[in-house]
Amino acid sequence: MDKGLLAYLLIPLFSALVIPFAARGREKLADILANVTLLAGLVNLLWLALRPSVIAGGFEEIPGDGLSLLLVTAIYLVAFCVTFFSAWFVPAGMPNRRAYYSLILVSVAAMTGVVTAADFFTLYIYIEVLAVTSFALISTDDSPKGLEGALKYFLLSFPASALILGGIAVLMMTLGSLSYDNLHIFMSSDVPAGPVVFGAALMMLGFLIKSGVAPFHMWTPDAYQGAYAPVSAHLAGIVTKISGVYAVVRMASLLRFFDGRAQGLSALLMLLGLVSIAVGALAALRQTDLKRMLAFSSISQIGYIILAAGLGTPLALIGAVFHLINHATFKTVLFLNSASVEKATGTTDMDKLGGMEHAMPWTSWTSVIALFSTAGVPPLSGFWSKLLIILALWEAGLKGYAVIALLFSTVTLAYFVMMQRKVFFGKKSDAAAAATEVSAPLLAPAVLMSAAIVALGLLFPYVFSYLKMMAGRIIL
Amino acid sequence: MNQFAIDWYLIALLIFTGLYCMLASRSLVRQLVGLEIVSKGAMLCVISAGAYSNNIVFAQAILITMIVIEVVVVATGLALLVKNFRVNGSADVWQLNGMKG
Repeated sequence: MDKGLLAYLLIPLFSALVIPFAARGREKLADILANVTLLAGLVNLLWLALRPSVIAGGFEEIPGDGLSLLLVTAIYLVAFCVTFFSAWFVPAGMPNRRAYYSLILVSVAAMTGVVTAADFFTLYIYIEVLAVTSFALISTDDSPKGLEGALKYFLLSFPASALILGGIAVLMMTLGSLSYDNLHIFMSSDVPAGPVVFGAALMMLGFLIKSGVAPFHMWTPDAYQGAYAPVSAHLAGIVTKISGVYAVVRMASLLRFFDGRAQGLSALLMLLGLVSIAVGALAALRQTDLKRMLAFSSISQIGYIILAAGLGTPLALIGAVFHLINHATFKTVLFLNSASVEKATGTTDMDKLGGMEHAMPWTSWTSVIALFSTAGVPPLSGFWSKLLIILALWEAGLKGYAVIALLFSTVTLAYFVMMQRKVFFGKKSDAAAAATEVSAPLLAPAVLMSAAIVALGLLFPYVFSYLKMMAGRIIL
Repeated sequence: MNQFAIDWYLIALLIFTGLYCMLASRSLVRQLVGLEIVSKGAMLCVISAGAYSNNIVFAQAILITMIVIEVVVVATGLALLVKNFRVNGSADVWQLNGMKG
């Protein structure tokens, strides 16, 4: 456990305990408490990472391994956007408003626990806590679709937990310990690594199911589509990324894929990443529901992260972590915008929408920024992370993989332009005729995240120096 | 055949029983029972591994925590099942087909 970041776990947890009691009868207080907790944490974290003396020193003063701090900042940023959005989105009479904010804060605490854990057992515990809060959050509004999505998520993530337990057992037998450091030291030695890698592979399979990579992706679109609108932004933006993809990236760095000690696992991971990119992008092309299309796009983007993690060179890990952060920013914008569209028109069916551009200009243009970032249009942040991943693949001699990854990047652009044309451009449909732009507080999170996308892209040299420092610490 | 080989043979049997239970039944409740059996098999793996590597105290400590965590997960799953039955009026796994594409 990274003790420097413990406060970011405990304070949301405390807030989550206080809200149900303090806000009884005063519903607005729940909004305020949740938002203030997350905003204070976010400001604190930004000061920790971005105060002038730290930037001038090339980020060498950052405590811990740098990865935890970066991801905790991303968690707080996304969660703050979601709670801020929810404060105006959730209707006033909703019976379980206090429970909703409590659950979001517990999930923030659990995610902070996941990224600061230093052994596999702690990781497993926090991932289970996170899963429990997600089941409850998906079915917030008691809709049949939400319950169906939550059940599917439950039925697939439970066996994944059993696989992780099996992996923990094998690691305990072969390695005798569950801490990250021991695994890292073992992989740097010359002892034959077969049984340990088998245990790690079992765990990794569990994490791949939880992150929704291609052959195990069946729960992802249903859970995202069925979930209550702001929750789907929370879920797609950060929860599944932390509970699955982060663990895969962390294990890739611990298993030292780049020096060929776990060649088979590395090759398998890269293949799954590539399949995921292809399946997600091709399925997204033929969706008619906005949220479902975004979910398939999410599967495709996760494929890039898994592909880079499977390669495991320092450059590829930098690309993977940066794409993880970027995915959090642009997917949050897109899902929050889909929630705004749903609020304005009452539907997310793309065939019924159309011509929303004049009615909802802000929503339309933040969507354009986010989708360009996803597709990798320079100078937005998504361009840099995809460039790093493709460069790393090319450098490792895997030219076929690099070319396919590049080709599917254009498919990404194709389905997003199609989405934009169907929803925002073109002729006004019946559903769009009566729609007006949602209120300013609902737009603020999307605008903030779009600003973050542009800033991360334009200030890439600083971002890269941070990521280089981080890669040096987590690999060596 | 030593004692641990028998352990792991039985564990494998248990896990496949659970998986068969999941595959063969349409009822969501039975799916959950199958999942429980699989997860109990995985827990037995942990305790057997601890005994094998002379690490039994550590294994017991983490196993107790795992049981607590699992109870929470199962309770949430059961709550979802009950709510699903109230809203959709069925506990059939093939009825979970509201979303397509």
